[in-house]
Amino acid sequence: MGALHTSVPRWPAEIPAVDPAGRAVALLAFGAAGKRLLTAWRAAVPERTPVWSHVVDRADDDSLGLLARQVAEARVGWRLMLAGPEVDVLAARSVAIGLGVLDAEIRMVVTGAARKRVFCPHCRGTTETAAPVAAEVPCAGCGRRLHVYGHVSRRLGAYLGFMADAEEVA
Amino acid sequence: MTAVLSAPPAAATEEGGLLLTVAGVEEAAPGIRTVTLRRPGGGLLPAYPPGSHLVLSCGDRRNAYSLTGDGMAAPEYRISVLLCPDGDGGSAFVHALQVGDAVVAAGPRSAFAPVSTARHHLLVAGGIGVTPMLSHARAAARWGRSFELFYGHRPGAGAHRAELADVCGPRLRAFEQAAGLLDALGAALADQPMGTHVYVCGPAPLMAFVEETAAGLGWPGDRVHAERFSAADLDPGEPFVARLARSGGRVPVPAGVSLLAALEAAGVAVPSMCRQGVCGECRLTVTAGRPLHRDLYLSPPEHASGDAVMCCVSRSLDDELELDL
Amino acid sequence: MTTALPGTAERVARFPFPFAADTYRYSTNVEPARRTVPTAAGSWGDRVLDVDAAYAAELELRREVLQRDPTRCSQLPHMRVAAWDALMTLLPELAATYPGAMSLQQRGDRWLWRNDLIGSSTSFVPGDEDSLPGGPLRLLGSQIQEDVVLLDQREGSLWADAGLVTFAADWSMGFDVGMRFLEVHGPVPRVHEAGVVQRAEQFLMRLQPGEQYRRTNWTMTVDRRLDSSTETYPEWGRDRRLVVDDPALPDRLHLRVEVQHLLRLGVSNAVCFLIRTYLLPLRELATVPEWRRRFAAVLAELPDDMADYKGLTLYRGAAVDWLTAG
Ligand code: HEM
Ligand code: FES
Repeated sequence: MGALHTSVPRWPAEIPAVDPAGRAVALLAFGAAGKRLLTAWRAAVPERTPVWSHVVDRADDDSLGLLARQVAEARVGWRLMLAGPEVDVLAARSVAIGLGVLDAEIRMVVTGAARKRVFCPHCRGTTETAAPVAAEVPCAGCGRRLHVYGHVSRRLGAYLGFMADAEEVA
Repeated sequence: MTAVLSAPPAAATEEGGLLLTVAGVEEAAPGIRTVTLRRPGGGLLPAYPPGSHLVLSCGDRRNAYSLTGDGMAAPEYRISVLLCPDGDGGSAFVHALQVGDAVVAAGPRSAFAPVSTARHHLLVAGGIGVTPMLSHARAAARWGRSFELFYGHRPGAGAHRAELADVCGPRLRAFEQAAGLLDALGAALADQPMGTHVYVCGPAPLMAFVEETAAGLGWPGDRVHAERFSAADLDPGEPFVARLARSGGRVPVPAGVSLLAALEAAGVAVPSMCRQGVCGECRLTVTAGRPLHRDLYLSPPEHASGDAVMCCVSRSLDDELELDL
Repeated sequence: MTTALPGTAERVARFPFPFAADTYRYSTNVEPARRTVPTAAGSWGDRVLDVDAAYAAELELRREVLQRDPTRCSQLPHMRVAAWDALMTLLPELAATYPGAMSLQQRGDRWLWRNDLIGSSTSFVPGDEDSLPGGPLRLLGSQIQEDVVLLDQREGSLWADAGLVTFAADWSMGFDVGMRFLEVHGPVPRVHEAGVVQRAEQFLMRLQPGEQYRRTNWTMTVDRRLDSSTETYPEWGRDRRLVVDDPALPDRLHLRVEVQHLLRLGVSNAVCFLIRTYLLPLRELATVPEWRRRFAAVLAELPDDMADYKGLTLYRGAAVDWLTAG
């Protein structure tokens, strides 16, 4: 389905550079691959620009809370850079945007897109999976077989799943 | 009240614009005239987002003036206009208005609305640029938005100072010296919480200062909103003649009338739908002359080739445009 | 209102039959609102808000859907002004369209809304959430048959940041809330490549305060099921298969037409998107020979990707057969 033009994020093929216009930079990396990118970014930040930088395992309450506190302290001119698996980067972007950060202030790079969160509109549960788009995954909430759809909510940081066999069942 | 309220919002943009009467004129500051406009029969005027313009027909030209209210549907519109002796005559026209005069205006146009997701609104006004900011401040106060207003004006010439003090309370910071204003702005722009948006209206050097200082401090363009009175979307266009290649007819298209409307008035049937240059229905083939494209439908190569025109919005670069009709 | 229960005659006479030709493709098909469109069976389109004989029943259905699933009404916090703006724009609109039956009156700070069609009245202070439990969108949704989406404009885009949608044709307001306009349309085939939604967004972003446009969209639905949202797909999905061999197919299969209005709200600068859903069973549609012939032609010719996206694939052959057999 229209793979080129969906709500599914199209990650840049090239690693984005540190925005030279930023007056302060926050770097948040998830996992080992993310950490390597963060290290490179850190080295590229202009000398007198303050840097906030953290490497964490994954986007969970702790790491997202850390990010939220940083946004709350930040002044306009601040930039956010995220590196790591898509599922974590989407979750972090969602937190930042919810706190008033603009797309123009966030640069992201994804080190893998296998893992994803799938939202089930039938029970409103969310399932983590490594299934690709168009594959099926059992819903952790209601047990239905969900078709992973090429539609992503920036707010939920999740793919839409819908009952895969709804038209076949008796 | 009920009668007025049940007027459908369609009446908001009566085609051909609003007919208004001057209900008051007063001096807001030396050289600045505040004009109050109402419907001749009374009744609510259309609501508008803060920072909107009213486009007034001033003799043979149309000028855009900022509305200074909070934008809620109300019985009157107010504009404040600085007399510019070297201007295009619009301000002289407004300054000559007397109570009871009739004026024609197009419905309000919005191009400078507050950003609803903003956590804080930093409003910056210089001189007569205060007019849209008065509207922003009023709306921000009404809806409980966090804001402050930096207002620079010449000593003693601060239009709407008292009203602003009323609306803003301690959120108003007024300056009678440019240097003081710029220093304070520089400091403010350097220290705003994430989620702040800045809005500026005033003399070109003030606008440039805010835009350059903000950019230098890392503000992305999406957070910086500058009010420039642009005439682009008001452009009635130049008159031209449509030559009908097949039927041999000639249809004059006056300024302010679309090619589509002129053809229809001449009895030439052309399919149309949106009349806004987006749906693709009214495409005509051009056989001679260069179209002035103003649509969103044709692709850039189609625009460049010049052999088709969306007649609901586009016009002609040449005095004559020949169509396959 | 004195109208009796909607018989076939009224439903057909007011049905917004959407096809102007024997083939259908997506386009940025917007036109000014409030223009009456004559059809082969009657006319539609003279009003923005349309109350018909199913009014009370559809409002009751919306109430039940919302009770089961409150996420059908989703509003991001910054859409507060837009939600009040929608209410204070559309209640007067409704009262102006049905002046005998409804009214909005101001008493000091409070506003009084009275609706004799459903025997309800309520009062509230605009802008004061405490004065209106449930909020402005819920009140609005309890008075109009239309679904509502409110779009914010910023960062060069429109954002679907609030809505009350109980009668979605195979999508989810709760999932889509917070998306950019182009993201909302992500799953739709063809429209991105053809520039249809990009043009639509440009057009909508230029709408000026008070301007009102509309367009139609269509799909098909089994049974008179207004709530064919993604949320309830497990309940209705199988009917797409079961209807194929059902002798009742012409009564169960409906042409579903949405009349969508696009209004620029004055106070908030939001774009208000109203979706009104009309369902006409094939048997009633076929009483108008021109519609019967044309819809058969459109369905038969529709490219597979569009038919698939609309969910017609299983039964469109059977529908065409029935329409052309008569
Ligand atoms: C001129 C304006 C618009 C145009 C031309 C347009 C066009 C379309 C088209 C062609 C489709 C596919 C429909 C089908 O085949 O059944 C669609 C689907 C849809 N549209 Fe629009 N649209 C417009 C405005 C809007 C607005 C303002 C919204 C509000 C959010 C909206 C929300 C949707 C949704 C939710 C879908 C279903 C997408 C899905 O499958 O998840 N549209 N639109
Ligand atoms: S009428 Fe729609 S493009 Fe001209």
